Amino acid sequence: MAGEPGELLQGTLEMMVLKTLSLEPMHGWGIAQRIQQMSNDVFLVTQGSLYPALIRMKRRGWLTTSWRVTENSRRARYYELTAAGRKQLGFEQASWLRASAAVNWVMNARLVPDGGRA
Amino acid sequence: MSVLTDIIERARSILFRRRDERELAEELEFHTAMEAEKLERRGLSPAEARRQTSLALGGVERVKDDVRDARGTRFLHDGQRDMAFALRTLARNPGFAAVAVLTLAVGIGGTTAVYSAVDAVLLQPLPYQQPGQLVRLYFTDVRRKEERGVVTPVHFLDYRQSMSAFSSIAALFLYSEAGADIGSGDDVRRIRILPVSADYFDVVRVQPSIGRPFSRDEETNAPVVVLSHALWKDKFGGDPSAVGKSLIMNGRSYTIAGVMPEGFADPLAGSVDAWVPGDLSPGRDPNEAGNHYLSVIARLRPDVTLARAQAELDRLSKTLADRYPNARYAGARLDPLKEDIVGDSSKPLEIMLGAVAMVLVLICVNLANLLLVRGTDRAREFALRSALGAERRRLVRQTLIESLTLALAGDVAGIIVAYFAMKAIVAIGAGSIPRLSTLTLEPRLLVFSLVIASLSALGFGLWPALRAARTQPGDILREQGRSATSGGVQMRLRQWLVVSQVALAFVLLVGAGLLIASFQRIRQVPLGVRPEGVLAFELHLPEARYDSIARARFYETVAERIAALPGVVAAGGVSKLPATGDFNIWGTQALTGPLANLDRGNIAGQNRVVSGRYFDAVGISLLDGRLFDEHDDTSVPRRVIISRAAADRMFPGVRAVGQSLTTGGGPREIVGVVADVALDPQGRSGEGYVYHPHRQFAGDRNWSLVQVVRTTGSLEQLQGEVRRLIASLDPQLVMYKPVALTEAIGRGEAQRVFTLRLLTTFAGVALGLAALGLFGVLSYGVRLRRREFGIRMALGANGGSIRRMVLREGMVVTAIGVAIGLLGAVALSRVLTSLVFGVSTLDPRVLASAAVFMGLVAGFAAYLPAHRATSVEPSSVLQ
Repeated sequence: MAGEPGELLQGTLEMMVLKTLSLEPMHGWGIAQRIQQMSNDVFLVTQGSLYPALIRMKRRGWLTTSWRVTENSRRARYYELTAAGRKQLGFEQASWLRASAAVNWVMNARLVPDGGRA
Repeated sequence: MSVLTDIIERARSILFRRRDERELAEELEFHTAMEAEKLERRGLSPAEARRQTSLALGGVERVKDDVRDARGTRFLHDGQRDMAFALRTLARNPGFAAVAVLTLAVGIGGTTAVYSAVDAVLLQPLPYQQPGQLVRLYFTDVRRKEERGVVTPVHFLDYRQSMSAFSSIAALFLYSEAGADIGSGDDVRRIRILPVSADYFDVVRVQPSIGRPFSRDEETNAPVVVLSHALWKDKFGGDPSAVGKSLIMNGRSYTIAGVMPEGFADPLAGSVDAWVPGDLSPGRDPNEAGNHYLSVIARLRPDVTLARAQAELDRLSKTLADRYPNARYAGARLDPLKEDIVGDSSKPLEIMLGAVAMVLVLICVNLANLLLVRGTDRAREFALRSALGAERRRLVRQTLIESLTLALAGDVAGIIVAYFAMKAIVAIGAGSIPRLSTLTLEPRLLVFSLVIASLSALGFGLWPALRAARTQPGDILREQGRSATSGGVQMRLRQWLVVSQVALAFVLLVGAGLLIASFQRIRQVPLGVRPEGVLAFELHLPEARYDSIARARFYETVAERIAALPGVVAAGGVSKLPATGDFNIWGTQALTGPLANLDRGNIAGQNRVVSGRYFDAVGISLLDGRLFDEHDDTSVPRRVIISRAAADRMFPGVRAVGQSLTTGGGPREIVGVVADVALDPQGRSGEGYVYHPHRQFAGDRNWSLVQVVRTTGSLEQLQGEVRRLIASLDPQLVMYKPVALTEAIGRGEAQRVFTLRLLTTFAGVALGLAALGLFGVLSYGVRLRRREFGIRMALGANGGSIRRMVLREGMVVTAIGVAIGLLGAVALSRVLTSLVFGVSTLDPRVLASAAVFMGLVAGFAAYLPAHRATSVEPSSVLQ
């Protein structure tokens, strides 16, 4: 499925969520805000993609949840990385770096005249 | 990822779905609130902030669906929603739902109940251990092997001694008096007793649950008795110490030897209250080798086949023929007991099963029709919804759930119908169909019917949705607007479905019609008696208090006293009711006249003993000579009255009155000739009757005469008056089994009545379903063609021509159906042969009546749609 853009994006979203949560436990809206800020408003995370992703990640055992009170005293569900989640983040970060580097190489490649071979 | 966490999480989601939903709602609410706050901080009004937030975040419900998807519980949530939706949709169209559920209920209920009856009577083995080993042994004449008669005690004892193929053999004295009065004083009641030989309990392999069976030493009418469980409960309160106590039967004291287990019934006699040892002592007298009265059953050894047993029996019969010269042609034949018992009931039940299958098919077809119409209607709804973005998968699932809801409701209703239908079958058939009383719902068939009916509901319900899922929504939506006669292909399919319904209904109609015609024929058979307005009842005189002289006097007194009651025309008694079968067939030889002492002057006479004014009471007319009177007593020579058939056979060409014959142990003088009486309701005639006056014959045995009373008034009222009269004569006597003579004679016909009632019901249901189908198709056609009719009428067609057009369509469908049904009836005519009497299975009048009837019903079903077609207001459809 690696060829499908949707999958790639979804994977990317999960990675970014993991990254966000590795800094501190956070509620859903906070995660969305943080990603938006950190990506300089490139990624706008909608509810529709965020919450299903959170549920999936929880199901895989990367996250735990708990209900806490926010600084402006509202009840919110906080998400927190588990050890498995942390491990997953490391794994995804490494493979992302490798993949993005590879993509960059490909994208930067030029046609070199070399005796008729490309 | 851990598979285990995944599973736990999913399971948790299912278990805590409600809480999850609540929390999700809260979480999303929080998200929205935070987003709105953010916008408010930028200076928007709170309302505007909320609005923009909602726009930006998309529909909350959609998010919830996606989350449910991620959680893996969406299918549950949707299922619940679809179910609620299905119920709402069905409730919006209660007529459709009711008809569909009703159709399913009738299909499942009817088929299950009838199949259960077939199963109980035909397919289930006898309720005894290793029932396959049980056989019935009949006496037969070696020259006429198809004959089946009762056995002599002489032969029985030889079979018991010599036959190695039998592990046990038993004689049942079904032929002898089978009632007894128990108790004394005011507490007298009549019970059914069955004398048997000692090995009876080994043959059926059921021993008394307490006490002991009989021994062979007791086969001399010994005063011991084995009680049925019911009688033991009733009379002794289920006290085990009853064994060894005594019970007074017919004034004689019997010692209670044992009690049979609960629910035990005799294979031939059915429910019996008590068993006593029969008297096999006459069997030791070789001169008795011509005296037949035992019903014999036997159990084959496990390794012995019926054929081998029969071969051994044939060899033995040859030896016995040499030993007993007066039974030179005596043989015996074996029939499997089950076949013997089920016998005649198997045909009607098989036919019933066929009828059930037809009705089941009809019901599926009807269901298909219903759901197809609905599917076409909904094709547009589906097209519209799918154009608006509904997932096709979801549409199909929704239809599936709707059909499932229908099927479930139909199943439940079906089980209820099955229960009551079974009660009805037992009520209709009890008494005439053996073992029907043991009927219980057959679980396998219930499941089968449930599955078939549910599958057809699902299949036909789903088909339109699947089709909708395949077609482009635009096509369907466009078709609706443009075409005035849409749905052509489906219309034709539905017409063919109706044709098949008409055909099946027609076949069932023919079946019912043939039975009705047979009935009329049977009713027209002259029986030689006039049974209407005659009450019959048994009156048993206990020998302990009534010797033969007292019995002779008492029966005459009773007849006289009853005759004095208001409205009574005549009263009398007889040893066997007329037209209810053979009885006391004794060799009867002319002693005078042209055939005196010749073989040709010998007939198998049906001997009857009569008291009072029997002939007048049942309506047998005197042809010559006189009837019996008070002078025909023991002080004068024995006298008889014979029937015309007997007179013609024994005394051809001469006057029979004044001649003499010998039967029942000596010479008799003939004083009268009466009209012939049939031996059964089908009008079978024997070789002739010989009637003996009870006054002269009371000493032979206790005849327990059946009393017959002809009245001009009501039988119920008469019954009460006679009961009071008997009580005034002897308070201990019991008026046993009072019954109208018509009913007593009709008894043998009960099986045909049973078949007729069930088949008529099925034909009625089939007719109704076919009419419903036709009505549905025509109505639907009319609805589809509203525009066309509107245009026609706008162009000047009048109502009559349009009505005729619709009616013609209905009649064409019906005619094709009847034509196909006719072929079916021809194909099935051989099966029906056994059921009809005096009418051809292809009787043109029956076939024509069925066709006309079908046509009338079809016309009726077509009239309403035709009428509706003309009620179209041209302007309303053309605008």
